[in-house]
This record gives sequence, structure tokens and C-alpha cells, in this order.
Amino acid sequence: MSRLPAGSDAALEPVRLALRREAETEAGRLAEDARRQAEALLSSARAEAEQIRATAAREGADAARTEAAGRSARIRREARRTVLARQEALRSELGRQVRDRARDLRSDPRYPQILRRLTERADAVLGPMASVTESYKGGVTAAAGSRHLDLSLPALAEQALERHAGEVHRLWDGA
Amino acid sequence: MSGGGIPGTEPASGIPRVGYSAVRELRGPLLVLGDADGVGWDEFATVAVAGQRDRHGLVLEVDGDEVTLQILEGTGGMALGGIEVRFQGRPLAVPTGPGWLGRVCNGRGEPLDGGPPVTAGETAPVGGWPLNPVYREPPQDPVITGISAVDALTTLVRGQKLPIFSVPGLPHLTLATQIAAQATTSAGRAFRVVFAAMGMTHADIAYIRDRLEERSAAGELVLLLNAADDPVIERILTPRIALTVAESLAYDEGSDVLVVMSDMTSYAEAVREVSAARREIPARRGYPGYLYSDLAGLYERCGRVKGREGSVTIVPVLTMPAGDITHPVPDLTGYITEGQVVLDPEVDARGVYPPVDVLSSLSRLMRSGAGKGRTREDHLDVAAQILSAMARARSAAELAELVGAAALSETDNAYIDFRSVVERELLNQGRDELRTFERTMDLAWQALSLLPRRELTMLSGEFLDRYLPGPAGGAQS
Repeated sequence: MSRLPAGSDAALEPVRLALRREAETEAGRLAEDARRQAEALLSSARAEAEQIRATAAREGADAARTEAAGRSARIRREARRTVLARQEALRSELGRQVRDRARDLRSDPRYPQILRRLTERADAVLGPMASVTESYKGGVTAAAGSRHLDLSLPALAEQALERHAGEVHRLWDGA
Repeated sequence: MSGGGIPGTEPASGIPRVGYSAVRELRGPLLVLGDADGVGWDEFATVAVAGQRDRHGLVLEVDGDEVTLQILEGTGGMALGGIEVRFQGRPLAVPTGPGWLGRVCNGRGEPLDGGPPVTAGETAPVGGWPLNPVYREPPQDPVITGISAVDALTTLVRGQKLPIFSVPGLPHLTLATQIAAQATTSAGRAFRVVFAAMGMTHADIAYIRDRLEERSAAGELVLLLNAADDPVIERILTPRIALTVAESLAYDEGSDVLVVMSDMTSYAEAVREVSAARREIPARRGYPGYLYSDLAGLYERCGRVKGREGSVTIVPVLTMPAGDITHPVPDLTGYITEGQVVLDPEVDARGVYPPVDVLSSLSRLMRSGAGKGRTREDHLDVAAQILSAMARARSAAELAELVGAAALSETDNAYIDFRSVVERELLNQGRDELRTFERTMDLAWQALSLLPRRELTMLSGEFLDRYLPGPAGGAQS
């Protein structure tokens, strides 16, 4: 290893300076690059985070909307079912009352007259050869060969209810 | 008879009903009764079976004192003794009017929603009244469905019958339900939907009920549901009841009514079953020779009537077994209806919903429902241009398969790009997406802007300048 001749220090000074400047510039550039990269990473991470948040919010809102719509549909359906069930209950009650009243006719003083007219009716429909018997439910039943006629009081009550079915809605429409 | 029966089945007059019990034969869905007099063809009857719920029947044949009835609930579990048939003295009639709205009933019109039977002061026979052709008015004005494929390219018109042809496994029910949920006519007009489901699985029925809940809650919907495990013969009544209700809502109440009937193939199978039981001479694929007139009797009940406000529009859904468009049901339907919307498994495989094959689909009455004063001035020209370009794209794609995409001209490549954008952006949409007509037209123009302007020969310069997106009326020169 040789020693540098005297005076070379001064001669090398510009070289050292140049090397150092270059190293400093390089270091600055690297630092700047690193900073820029860090910034880019950070901003892309922020953007991604924002995107994830927005997607999550949107999906959450969609899910909530679907859930809310589903729940309100279920509640509406439940409410509707309740209304319809009450209407049906009213209709059944009307049917029950009509049948009860029809049964009460058996103790009505006009019952023999009713029986007579029902028998006439049965004869008119099935012919004079029909065998007419009084039903245990009240009213009469008649038969002629394979043909039958049910004029018992419950059957007549049902027929009356069916005939006036169009008026039943007055029970809940308040008309 | 207990409560909850078919509405409107009371006898025509106060004459007591004679019960006939001389049952001679039970054959498939048929019951042959002897010793009956004064019974008319197509009369409705209640069949009391000892120890069981009452059943219902329709008279198919009267020969002397012998009457043949089809039993809607089938004859399973019935024995020759202990049956009493009471005739109503008239064909089956159902109550008419708004009492049906918001209700859910089975295929015979009996309530399934826990409510009382539907009743009304007026009834109408389910077979419908024959309408004097002179009183018919041609369909007019659009029904906007919020589905781009239908609105833009096969516009549904008030009073039209436009079937959906599909194959099993495609989302035809989703599409039909979406149409039922979204469709409207012009603002201010009452719009009602009658949905007749025939031979549906319970999962499908649950889907339909959920999807149409809003419409049902708004009192705009009548649901008639015949499940796959319900009696097959009942399906013969379901569309007739639906149409009778629709006619009363349209012509008495003045509403625009859409009737969705799904699946008509199930209906035709019920017709075939009865025909086979009657030992009629079968025609194609075992269907009876009168299938055409039977289907026409349903489809022809759509339309508009002179002097009445409302309209009945029918969208039947048909599944073509094995995708066979020459199958008797789609074939005969095609003769009667005014166009069709065809769903295609290949389009479905590309992930497009609704998977409409636009080149096989057609609305013959589109001219009466689209264009200036109805939808938009440029609508018909845009639809024609898109269809023409789709046809050209198809031949370009076929060419590409032979010679390779690299050998295609720039124009041909533009057509192929155009087709994929039309499928991806215009036709494809969400299953609950209600797309406005304006948005549909914007998407159509955006797709058209991919083609060189010189190719857009069906559109006037005025429309191109006004609607084509991109710099100076078109991105491509």
C-alpha cells in the first residue's frame, strides 16, 4: 500500500466533493422515491380501503333494504291474514246463527205447515211416487229410485246462505 | 255442503237440487252417471262422497239419461256407492268484480289465504261470453314492463297476447313474475294483474307470492295457484277463472289487466288426460285434435272492447319439452298469439338475464304500441336497427368460427363487439331491476354507437344527431 504524495489531499478534494455530492443526490433521490412510493402505496391503500368501505356500505344498505322489504312484506301479509281470518270468522258465525235459527223452526207453531209445504215441494220435484220422510234434523228428505232430495232444515239453511253469499261482505264492509 | 266451497256455485234459481246416485262407472277423472234427466252440457255439479269433502264436476257428455262428468279433484278414493251428484242447472260461474283483488285462491277459486270465499252480487260463467268481433278494438298503447329486452325489442301492447316460450330449467317463471310485478300502462290508469299458476312446485309458489307481495298488498293482484300436487283436472278451470275475473276487472271496472298464465304446457297435459280418459282419438303426441280451438278459446279472450275503458293483455308461459318449438303446445300457441318471446339456453349459459333470443322473438303488434306519442319517436327505428345489427353480428360470429377472428374486417369485429355489449348492457339486467324506458333507450343508443355511423342505415340523420352518444353525433365516423 503506497502513501499518497503530499498535496494530493488538496488535489483530490474536488473528487471527494463530487463523490459526496453524487452520493447525497442519490440518497436524496432514493429517499424521494421511497417517500413517493410510500405515498403511492398509502394513497392506493386509502383508495382501496375507501372502495371496500363503500362496497360494504352499499352491500349493507342493499341487504338492509332487502331485509326491510322482506320484513315489511311479512308484516303486511300477516296483517292481511288477520283481516281475512276475522272476515271468515264473521262469516262462520253468521252461518252458525242461520243454522241455529233454522233448527229452532222445529219448535215453531208453523212447523207442521212448513213440513206440509216441503212435502208438496218434494212431490212436485220427484213425482208423486216419491217416498217422503221427515228428517231427524227437521224438514223432510225424499227419494224416488236413485234420485234424492234433501229438504232438511240444515240443508235449506245452507242453500239460503249460498244464495245470498254476495251479501255476506256487508258484515265487514259496514254497508 | 260445508263453507269454503267454490264461490258462486249456488243454483241458478231457488229450485232444490235433486241428488242423483246411480253411478255406473268411475274411469280416471271421469264419473258416468245413469238415470239422470234434464242435465245440460257443461253444467257444473257438486259431488257428495260419503265421509269425504264434497268434490266438483263438469258435464262433458249427455247421452239419453247417461251423463259423463269430469271430477275436478279426481276420482281417487271414490266407490260406486255413497256418491250423490247434484247439478247446478248452469255452467260454472264465478263472482266478478274487485272482491278478488288482494286474494290468494287455489286453481278452483277457493281461498287459500284464510279468508272467506270471494263473493259478489254479480257472477259470470267461466267459459266467457262470445264477443261479437265487430265490438273488438285493435290492441293499442304499450304496457311497459321495466324489462329492456321486452320494452325495447318486443314491446307488449295493451290487449295483446304475447307468450314466453322457454325450456325447463330457464328462468321463465322469474321473468313472468318480474313482468307481473313491474308492468304498468300510462300514468293514471289502473293496472291490475291476474296470475294463474298451473302445476307449480311449492318453492315456485312461495317465490311468486314473495315477489308479488307488494302488488298484492296494494290490492292490484289476484293469485290463482294450482300446485304440482294439486288435482290435475282442476288446471282446466284455472285459466278460465283467471280470464273471467280479468274480463270483469277490465270491462266493468275499466282497468288494464295483465293475465300471466304459467305454465300452459301443464294445462295442455290436463286437457290430454281428460281426452285420454274419454278414449278420444289422439292427435299429435296424444293431445286431442281440438287442442287448437281449446287454446284459442283462452287466448282469444284478450283484447279491448268498443265503448269500454279497460283491456285484457295475456302473457302465457310455455315450456317446450326438450326445447322443441314444433311441440303441439308452442306450435298451436304460435298460430293464435301475436308473436313470442323466446328464451334460449345458450344465452342463459352466457350469464344473461333474461336470456331472450332476440332474433327469434317478435311482437307482431309492436307498431301499435311503440313510436311517437306512445313510447318515443326513435323507438321503432332503433329496435329495427338493433335486430338487423344482431343478425349481422350472428353471421360475423359464424364467419369468425370458420376463418378466425383475426381475418374479420374491422366492421365485422365492430358488430361482434356490438352484440356482446347489447347482451351485457342492454338485455342483461337485475331480477328485480325496474328499468325505465328512457334508460333502456339510452343503453340501446350506447350499444349502437359502437358501430360505424355508415352502418346505421335504418336511423335517420336527425335521430343520429339527436341521440347517438359521442363527439359530433357518433364516436365512429
